[in-house]
Amino acid sequence: MGEPKKALIERLFAAQGRALQSFFYRRTRQHTDAADLAQEVYVRMLRIKDPDTIADMDAYLFTVASNLAREHAAREGRRGIKVDVEDRAVLEELAQPSDSDAQIDAANQVKRLREVLRQLPPRWHAAVVMQYVQGLSHREIAERLGVSVSMVKKYLGQALGRCRRRMVRLG
Amino acid sequence: MNTGEEQVREIIASQAGEWLAAHRAGPLGGAERRAFFAWLTASPVHIEEYLGVAALERHLPVAADDPQMPLEAIVERARAEAVTATRLEAAPPVSSTLTSLRAPRRWLWVAVPAALAVVGFALWRNGEHVTAERYATRHGELRSWQLSDDSMLRLNTDTSVTVRFSRSERLVEVERGEALFEVAHAAGRPFRVRAGYAEVLAVGTRFDVYKQSDSTVVTVVEGEVRVGLTPGQPGAGSAGGRTVAVRAGERLQVSQGTLPSTAVPADTRRSTAWLRREIVFEQEPLGMVAAEFNRYSATPIEIETPELRSLRISGVFSADDAETFVDFLKSLDGVQVEVTHTRIRVSRM
Repeated sequence: MGEPKKALIERLFAAQGRALQSFFYRRTRQHTDAADLAQEVYVRMLRIKDPDTIADMDAYLFTVASNLAREHAAREGRRGIKVDVEDRAVLEELAQPSDSDAQIDAANQVKRLREVLRQLPPRWHAAVVMQYVQGLSHREIAERLGVSVSMVKKYLGQALGRCRRRMVRLG
Repeated sequence: MNTGEEQVREIIASQAGEWLAAHRAGPLGGAERRAFFAWLTASPVHIEEYLGVAALERHLPVAADDPQMPLEAIVERARAEAVTATRLEAAPPVSSTLTSLRAPRRWLWVAVPAALAVVGFALWRNGEHVTAERYATRHGELRSWQLSDDSMLRLNTDTSVTVRFSRSERLVEVERGEALFEVAHAAGRPFRVRAGYAEVLAVGTRFDVYKQSDSTVVTVVEGEVRVGLTPGQPGAGSAGGRTVAVRAGERLQVSQGTLPSTAVPADTRRSTAWLRREIVFEQEPLGMVAAEFNRYSATPIEIETPELRSLRISGVFSADDAETFVDFLKSLDGVQVEVTHTRIRVSRM
């Protein structure tokens, strides 16, 4: 998959990731939804006969998950759109700004996430700020923190993993 | 969610985070891509955590831009902190398990089954064309296949089954081990599973069959099946073709010549835990838990002190990760664990 298409899928995910987010971010009822959806995505992934034919597994996974999340939403009577990554019109429709409810929800999530970040080990926290706020590369972060590039990846991974679980537990 | 399970979840979420960070650093190479695919398809929980981490990541540019916590202050704190302190913060199981990301273990998991090619052959029975295919997994291996009728077949460790499909019937024989079936509905083409003493008849449903040496346990996750004694097995004649209904959330244990009259409630989460490569136990004797780990692990766990075998413990562990379980055993009061290359000995201190 070429770079423009990858960017497109990232944009797509950013634009309509809300459907996924309601599955993967909140707890209560959605907790089982998230597990069910993951199970369905899993079965789809298992059907891939030859993973080598898929150039960008990450993008593929999000496309499958988005489609399924939309189907779930449709089943529950909400507006559902099947996402076809080749379909420009659908992409444009999905790129519309989100509604205000979702914005309030997102603001709350950001506030909580900020709290969780403050409790991380400082190295993990520093790596996150350098990557996501300053946009530094792994190499640049490694130099600034005086550790190896692979260690930076580890810090980021552990930071993301801990934030994710804390956020799930906070509900 | 109990703490054991949460601990496993955080390990998986951190692995997901590392994969996400790897993707953000640039396109993956061929070997890394395959390793990522193997990781993703190892468990639905891996997919759930990967998508969960990605959903969270979208908020990081805003959330991490914290006016009360300028980067200089964070870096200052990081520098002040001794390297050892950081190691302590990253709980030991996390760091030890994360190495498996690069270790060839998970890889093997995908590379090895190629050697276990499905053996297929054709024969005719009652004048009807029947294809027979054999599916098998090795010790510690878990695999899934989609059958020609769109049913899904998942095999747990050390399992072998033969699938015989004809136009009028679908017959699966479980020779040994444990299998989960997701049966695709096909009108006029019943799906039958024979495992030791038990024969299961399904329509469109999801159920688990575990053939043990002296009995077979059938657990239904979705839908309903009918279970009878396997024709030709002792007692099958006197049962007179009697069958027992097993519905979603129930299980039935069939031993030699004995077909219970009703099914009993089952913990389906537990009987399908192997799909997530988890070992789940609650207040269970250590002897049984060790036996369960030994179904997957290359290094057997031996309980040397007899009274320890009846010690009751609870937890959720990744079946791949006997290491974390051993750490858990070490944390128990009065228990001593000795790890050698060939075995793990557990005894009273």
